[in-house]
Amino acid sequence: MIKGLFDTKRWNALFQAFPEYYIPGFLMTLKISLVGLALALALGVVFGLLSTAKFKPFRILSRIYVEFIQNTPLALQVVCYYSILPMLFSSSGFRMPKFILGVIGVGIYHGAYISEVIRTGIEAIPKGQSEAASSQGFSYLETMYHIILPQTIKIILPPLANQALGLVKNTSILAMVAGMDLMYFTDSWGSERGYFAQAYFTSAVMYFIICFPLARLARYLEIRSMRLPTAKRLEITADEEVA
Amino acid sequence: MMKKMLSLALTLAMVASITACGSKPETTTTAAETTKAGETAKAGDGAAADVQKIIDRGTLKVGCKSDIPKFSLQNTATGEYEGFEDDIAYEIAGKIFGCTADEAKEKKLVAFQGVTAKTRGPLLENGEIDLVIATFTITDERKETYNFSTPYYTDAIGLLVNKDSGITSIEGLDGKIVGIAQSANTKEMTLKYIDEKGLKVKPQFQEFDGYPALAQALATKQIDCFSVDRAILSGYVNDKNQILEDRFAEQDYGVASAKENTGLAALVEEKVTSMISDGSMKKLQDKWELQ
Repeated sequence: MIKGLFDTKRWNALFQAFPEYYIPGFLMTLKISLVGLALALALGVVFGLLSTAKFKPFRILSRIYVEFIQNTPLALQVVCYYSILPMLFSSSGFRMPKFILGVIGVGIYHGAYISEVIRTGIEAIPKGQSEAASSQGFSYLETMYHIILPQTIKIILPPLANQALGLVKNTSILAMVAGMDLMYFTDSWGSERGYFAQAYFTSAVMYFIICFPLARLARYLEIRSMRLPTAKRLEITADEEVA
Repeated sequence: MMKKMLSLALTLAMVASITACGSKPETTTTAAETTKAGETAKAGDGAAADVQKIIDRGTLKVGCKSDIPKFSLQNTATGEYEGFEDDIAYEIAGKIFGCTADEAKEKKLVAFQGVTAKTRGPLLENGEIDLVIATFTITDERKETYNFSTPYYTDAIGLLVNKDSGITSIEGLDGKIVGIAQSANTKEMTLKYIDEKGLKVKPQFQEFDGYPALAQALATKQIDCFSVDRAILSGYVNDKNQILEDRFAEQDYGVASAKENTGLAALVEEKVTSMISDGSMKKLQDKWELQ
């Protein structure tokens, strides 16, 4: 077994360090995850729609964003935002707050993936439906809102949940640039005392605490989105029976 | 059905992880090993079990830094570790295997492994290495986890700043960001020094994994000051930065071994103290031009 895993002295040391290290780290990771996810979703929807647009420059713009972000490692991107980007703007050393850095880092990275998820979701809907809608006088946005997107959501929810979970876990890359997140404090405490088993086990549990509800929520939304139409019809029949 | 399969999968994962982390089984003494042990018996007479294990294995596994000039630097051309701390490792190996340090070096009785501030602790505890001789500062907290020898070198913390930052002493660090290495005790020591001098200086501390990351953060001005032991700092000085005069928190480097290897710790302690008393430690320091 891992040495000292069940050593009470080490666990006591951990509980003492908990408020100082793990609580702020957990909150930072949670905040970065939530805001980062919002940014990633916004970017994903915008670029996902752009990549299915008829206007070609939009599609090209979206391709450039997606390919560039998808094909470079996140670690490199974060280091780039951390040290190279500020150098471009000023030589005196502009410093981005770590929270913003984290949100931008994971937001832009997963935004590209989510944009791909949304593009494939939209393309999965047979083209005949858009054509039928436009023949009935629906505008592009109306077609999207009433016909395409409701069907897309069912298709994209599972891969979208994957992205959300990946985003939470990828916030740990911030530890590399002293990001004050959960992983940073875990490394910090673990290496300070040498109680690595306790440090990393606790950290894993805390990441799980963030990820697990998110996974359940995604599953719930997925099931709900499948059942919605049937539920509606049942209500109407019930009303008619009462009447 | 789903639940059963899940629990089965979990059990398998548990078993796998336990086997993976499990300590290596004690090697049963085969005939070949017995003769080998017999050959070195002159050195191993009455040796403690943990020392005997090293003699049987034939090499002493030592964790050293690979990136600190004069202390322990891996020669990129030959792959050899060269420096003051590596010479200490050869001396200790000589003591264990009953030969001189030069013979130990010639016969390659020391297997070096590059370590960082972060990896040296776990590697020692897992038994991947027998000793850590890697600018490892002796502290009371660490003494609870590892065995330390008498200090073989005393170093102090230094502060490296960019020349164009206008910082000339520790007083200029108020509200500035000081980058320190993970699992270094720089933060406490710096705060203590500020306290002792009665200064009203409140720097912020940020920890980084590894010195190159710190040097990079300083070069790109994401931190104002790079603070670690002077021995390490000297490797990162260039024409754009300078080490401040402030020299504080003298700290002692010791040879560390795993807590349960008491026999090895006693042997190391004996060797280090004898090297200090007969002046050979001083000679080694002079050889590597350490003050």
